[in-house]
Amino acid sequence: MSNNENLLSIRDLTIHYFTDDGVVKAVNGINLDIARGETLGLVGETGAGKTTTALGIMRLIPDPPGKIVGGEVIFDGTDLIKESEKKMRHHRGFDFSMIFQDPMTSLNPVLTVGDQIAEVIRLHDKVSRAEANKKAADMLELVGIPAERINEYPHQFSGGMKQRVVIAIALACNPQLIIADEPTTALDVTIQAQVLALMSELREKFGTAMLLITHDLGVVAEICDKVAIMYAGQILEYGTLEDIYNNVCHPYTKGLFGSLPSLNSRVKRLSPISGLMPDPANLPEGCPFHPRCPQKCEKCTVKEPPNVEVTPGHFVRCHLFDNGKEG
Amino acid sequence: MLKFILKRLLVMIPVLLGVTFIVFSMMYITDGDPARMMLGDLATDEEVEALREDMGLNDPFFTRYFNYLGDLLHGDLGTSYSTRQPVSTAIMERLPATIKLAFFSCLFAIVIGVPIGIISAVRQYSIIDSISRIVSLIGISLPNFWLALLLMLLFSVQLGWLPPSGLYGPEYYIMPVISISAVSLATFARTTRSSMLEVIRQDYIRTARAKGQTEWVVVTKHALRNALIPIITIVGVQFATALGGAVVNEQIFGISGLGKLMVDSIKARDFPVVQGGVLVIAIMFSFLNLFIDVLYAFVDPRIKSQYMRGSKKKKAVAASAAAGEAQE
Repeated sequence: MSNNENLLSIRDLTIHYFTDDGVVKAVNGINLDIARGETLGLVGETGAGKTTTALGIMRLIPDPPGKIVGGEVIFDGTDLIKESEKKMRHHRGFDFSMIFQDPMTSLNPVLTVGDQIAEVIRLHDKVSRAEANKKAADMLELVGIPAERINEYPHQFSGGMKQRVVIAIALACNPQLIIADEPTTALDVTIQAQVLALMSELREKFGTAMLLITHDLGVVAEICDKVAIMYAGQILEYGTLEDIYNNVCHPYTKGLFGSLPSLNSRVKRLSPISGLMPDPANLPEGCPFHPRCPQKCEKCTVKEPPNVEVTPGHFVRCHLFDNGKEG
Repeated sequence: MLKFILKRLLVMIPVLLGVTFIVFSMMYITDGDPARMMLGDLATDEEVEALREDMGLNDPFFTRYFNYLGDLLHGDLGTSYSTRQPVSTAIMERLPATIKLAFFSCLFAIVIGVPIGIISAVRQYSIIDSISRIVSLIGISLPNFWLALLLMLLFSVQLGWLPPSGLYGPEYYIMPVISISAVSLATFARTTRSSMLEVIRQDYIRTARAKGQTEWVVVTKHALRNALIPIITIVGVQFATALGGAVVNEQIFGISGLGKLMVDSIKARDFPVVQGGVLVIAIMFSFLNLFIDVLYAFVDPRIKSQYMRGSKKKKAVAASAAAGEAQE
């Protein structure tokens, strides 16, 4: 099913956490494709399994209790699930790297930012310490931090600056894919815009593909080519940006848009989705969204909906669409 | 940094003053008459009284205390009642043995305990972890004098491998060091384990792994340095424990160290020696703690910048950094 133009193909990836209180089904058979240079937005509520998916690709799921139960993660032709730990270490930071959610905690407080950037360079490029430091200084300048701050420690930087450092680390070895896990969630709004602008600028400059994890549909509209809507460990809707924004199909996606304020229409109140995300240790029968779905029918409570291709490349996992195209 | 050290040295003065006062008061209220102890039961009351007057024991409390402080300022710790030897000489004769014992015990506890704690944390819930936790718990619960006696029974009496008493060569250190360090070793293992467990779950450890770093470097470079602060903190406490352990174990192993000197002096009501000994231990302990506080700065840059906060130069840099942030 995977074709050569896809840099990353995820097939039926399933990740469970085995805890004392039962099996937490965090990711349940998801399929995603990212082409070279493309940006895919992975959108969903807190607890939908977005971060687990990202860590699954990196093979950094905390084990125990987490385990990749099944599926394939094909990166540039090789299945990462089957790679040895040693080979994975060569991939991480070099072929693909990750930008983490909280810049306040993702930098080591006792090492200078220069050391932390130079570390990843020295791991993957055979260069001397001096050359690595030189490149680390260049990376700092690239993300908009004066190079003379290279010997400062993370506590001497603000949140936005720290995230710039994290971005510098992620981009240092010029990876083909960046996994950005809610890179702006922990930042305040003005800094968010700057960091996003920086990320898309650098991404375009280096032609890097990106998996952007977010719960912010506004951010997605700004920088993504494709969108996947994730709910309770499943992709409920998947398509191009236009597919999702102009031809919303799944009731959950509609609900997400309903909870956004809009400039065009005059609404007194936002219409949030009622209810809560189901407990992934105790998922409901049938469609995981049915307890909250305004359009549910009897079938939804018993049978899991199939993945329907409503228009080419636009997939919806909902019983409303399983007998033919949308009317 | 220098300013910080000077400040800490100044703070040490009231601490040491307090120590002298407490020890002096304790000796004052202790019953037993040094003059009587010196002269023996056969001496008449008049002779004892004359000696008391001569030694200044009949002076009021504060007169005696300030006389003692005055002598201290001249570097005079007094003269032993029983041996008529200057206290400083008596202490300097005995101190090296005790310091060596406490130092080697502490070193042994760190060198063995910290790696055990690291392995325990990295392999949490493994068999190695369970064993080390059980052994640590036993180590913490064992009274060191009891362990000393058991070791002596086994290795000196039964097997005849190790000398039972004295401190004349490396082999003499083995049993005292093991029994003094048992508790500290277990404490280091447990503290290191819990500290490492906390650090290893931090996001920056995940960042290091995401760079493709090997697990060995992740643990030794990224995790251990962050986990060191609590470990360094207990070095001070454990050194005090080791000194205390040395006091007891010197008795058992017949080592003539400071601990044995103090115990003998308390028995003989040789107050100047006891006071001098406690003061020397207090000074050692204060310097050790100062050293540990300085060590923090080298491990954690955040603490270092806290120490530096006094100097104005740094403030200017911080201000410009803040301005830089504001621009962002």
